[in-house]
Amino acid sequence: MRLVKCWFCSSTIYPGHGIQFVRNDAKVFRFCRSKCHKNFKMKRNPRKVKWTKAYRAAHGKDMTQDKTFEFEKKRNRPERYDRNVTEDTLKAIKKIDKIRSTREADHISKRLKPNKQKALKSDLKEIDQHINLIKAPGSQQQDSEKVKVMVSSNKSVQNEAMEE
Amino acid sequence: MAAALASRLTKGRSLLGGLTNAFSGLVSSSSGSILSQQQRTFIQMGTRLKVVDNSGAKEVMCIQSLRGKKGARLGDIVICSVKESATKVDVKKGKDAIQKGKVKKGSVVYGVVVRAAMQKGRVDGSQVRFDDNAVVILGIKEKKTDEKGKEKKQNYKGGFNQPLGTRVFGPVPHEMRLKKQLKILSLAQHLV
Repeated sequence: MRLVKCWFCSSTIYPGHGIQFVRNDAKVFRFCRSKCHKNFKMKRNPRKVKWTKAYRAAHGKDMTQDKTFEFEKKRNRPERYDRNVTEDTLKAIKKIDKIRSTREADHISKRLKPNKQKALKSDLKEIDQHINLIKAPGSQQQDSEKVKVMVSSNKSVQNEAMEE
Repeated sequence: MAAALASRLTKGRSLLGGLTNAFSGLVSSSSGSILSQQQRTFIQMGTRLKVVDNSGAKEVMCIQSLRGKKGARLGDIVICSVKESATKVDVKKGKDAIQKGKVKKGSVVYGVVVRAAMQKGRVDGSQVRFDDNAVVILGIKEKKTDEKGKEKKQNYKGGFNQPLGTRVFGPVPHEMRLKKQLKILSLAQHLV
């Protein structure tokens, strides 16, 4: 059993999924699902189709160069079965996956960070310039001129008068 | 690629003619779909196949599929009529040599389907499909009665194992091993 990558979107193809197309020059194209297969038949270039990994890598959206990718490289040499090696490999796979996904998330947030700062700056500017869209022009003046007035307690005298 | 697409649109459609095939409904309904994506079906009577060996024939038309009610698939044997064969000009000397005079236009031959545009399921669950329909010629079908008027019996139930040509072009699938076409596998340039 071997897990292969889809030619179009670069996702892993598990056994029992997808179609492989053999061209007459003996080049084999594997597709994970009919969506990728149909796009291929339409002669679309995966480097131009936004949702594919090829596009994201080509446009710097996703992390491409990292040491964690070297663990996944295809090796044509079969390894002799060793129980300990298998156990260690399975543990390592999980750990490497975790590391890789955190690194990928970091890459994306780093890419988005300057934009967030830009957005914050423009928001502050907007508040300064266009405060009239949020508050009425007159209300701002009145707020600052609020004065505290002391009220004397003459109520008790008035109440007695009314009662009579 | 453009040529392949063009050929697909002109050659790939199965000949319906006077056939009241159960599959005809499916084929006609999907042929009018958007993007003109073809529903690839079986190799049946009238299907034109490319010949990928050096037996002398170039194009062949299926007249009978020896397996399957609906038609032949990848790896099945078909009876074909040769529509186009190599001209005298094409005959070369040496390794490339076309087997001179073996298969002529109009002769009836047996062939095994080595490439089919219709996807075939493999034991590991995957599906394979090729770009075209191609056949390797196995033997010439002899006439039922010979010169003396006796009926000849041609044995094909046991299966043909030896191709007529000495070279096979293009990729060949592993399905040939299951079909006991080991000679074709050994002659193949690429195994898929």
